[in-house]
Amino acid sequence: METADTSPGARPLPLSAAPPRAGLHRFANPGRFLQLSGRVLPWLAAAAVLTLGVGLAWGLFLSPPDWQQGETVRILYVHVPMAWLAMGGYAGLAVGSILSLIWRHPLADLACRELSPVGAMATALCLATGSLWGKPMWGTWWVWDARLTSVLVLFFLWLGHAALVRAFDDTERGARMGAILALIGAVNVPIVKFSVDWWNTLHQPASVTRLGAPGLHVDILYPLLVCGLGFSLAFAALVLARTRAAVMERRIRALQLAAARRADIA
Amino acid sequence: MSLHWIHVTVSYALVVGGFLILAIATTFRHAAAKRRLAQLDPRAARRGQDRAQDTA
Amino acid sequence: MTRKKRRLWLLLLCALGLGSATALTLTAFQDNLVFFRSPSDIAREAPQPDRAFRLGGLVETGSVVRETAPDGKPEARFRVTDGAHGVSVTYVGVLPDLFREGQGVVTLGKLGPDGTFRASEVLARHDETYMPPEVADALKKSGHWNPNQGAAPPAATWNTLEPASAQPRRGS
Repeated sequence: METADTSPGARPLPLSAAPPRAGLHRFANPGRFLQLSGRVLPWLAAAAVLTLGVGLAWGLFLSPPDWQQGETVRILYVHVPMAWLAMGGYAGLAVGSILSLIWRHPLADLACRELSPVGAMATALCLATGSLWGKPMWGTWWVWDARLTSVLVLFFLWLGHAALVRAFDDTERGARMGAILALIGAVNVPIVKFSVDWWNTLHQPASVTRLGAPGLHVDILYPLLVCGLGFSLAFAALVLARTRAAVMERRIRALQLAAARRADIA
Repeated sequence: MSLHWIHVTVSYALVVGGFLILAIATTFRHAAAKRRLAQLDPRAARRGQDRAQDTA
Repeated sequence: MTRKKRRLWLLLLCALGLGSATALTLTAFQDNLVFFRSPSDIAREAPQPDRAFRLGGLVETGSVVRETAPDGKPEARFRVTDGAHGVSVTYVGVLPDLFREGQGVVTLGKLGPDGTFRASEVLARHDETYMPPEVADALKKSGHWNPNQGAAPPAATWNTLEPASAQPRRGS
């Protein structure tokens, strides 16, 4: 479809000519991705900053304290979005892995590779803020209950994926190994989600998505939803920007390789 | 500041700080890749990034 | 196309195998995944003496007695209940902030021969409801909820209550 990379004639700069060989169609799609994402990214980033600014200020200063947890309940506005991102991001990783395994989509490989460090960070932040919340409320930083343990496993899965895809010289092989790990690890996502319903845990059950009505007063629920949206937008913007950078870096490598090959021939 | 507020503040600082550091690192990486690509392939870079100026 | 389809079927098959293996494993380890045991569990199956385990439930209303132990440390006696059964607990140490009658707790300790649970650690377990103090006060005042007696009423009845105008509860 996209013929933008083929040059109509000789151009003054020797480096500007893309190599006509080595699967141009594989760059065609990423080329369009760069164009499209370049237009979306500034808006996405601006929306994330705006939403987060509103949501965090709301949660930190304007929302009421909880009747029994007092001001500590404000950790909710960062802890819960991190938990959502840890799990939602992993679901995204699983989808990307299916795309990469079955349809061998090269963009999916790159997106998964750039997604896992961000997801690992979100999960680590979820664990850290949960710990900071648990100490004053439960009376302990950490317990080995089913929820906390399964989230720790989720964190190791994120880390393992990030390490595995970078462990191979052959990036395609690394991407395939990472996709397999991501899909095996996907069984953990429902375990994280339902651990509080299936087993006795110290962690309380879900508040927002519980049957009937959310167990949060709207004055606490609304800032939480805004923060959740803001962090999701920020997460998406980060992953998109990283994927863009990765696409450009791959193109740089290809151009350098082509230049070196031409220099060899000459 | 009570102990509770300390825990709240540390939580917010960790999360916002984590995202901010990653955002800054990503911005630098993105800008570096863009610059290098523009060096290697000026035409494609121009076409891809400032379409407003490109009337073709 | 066929290669793609083959990969898809292979993946689905792997997912099925992995899913059932996980489900079987989780069912098999059910007992070990439980973080605490309820008083009913203990009534049904007495734990081995001198084995530490976790006991969880609600702090029974009117059962909490706070004293000072001979060595000056705070001591608390209370009953942990799950409605059907209850276990008496003694604990020497500082209780968490959230500890109160009607609150969920998880205690770690050993069951003595007299049937009293000697806890070495008490953790508070809060429920999944969050509400501003004014709303909680309004519910308490209107007689719809006594936190010492148990969980909050259905969330739909209070989660849109205006905190400012909550004092005389209006029909909702």
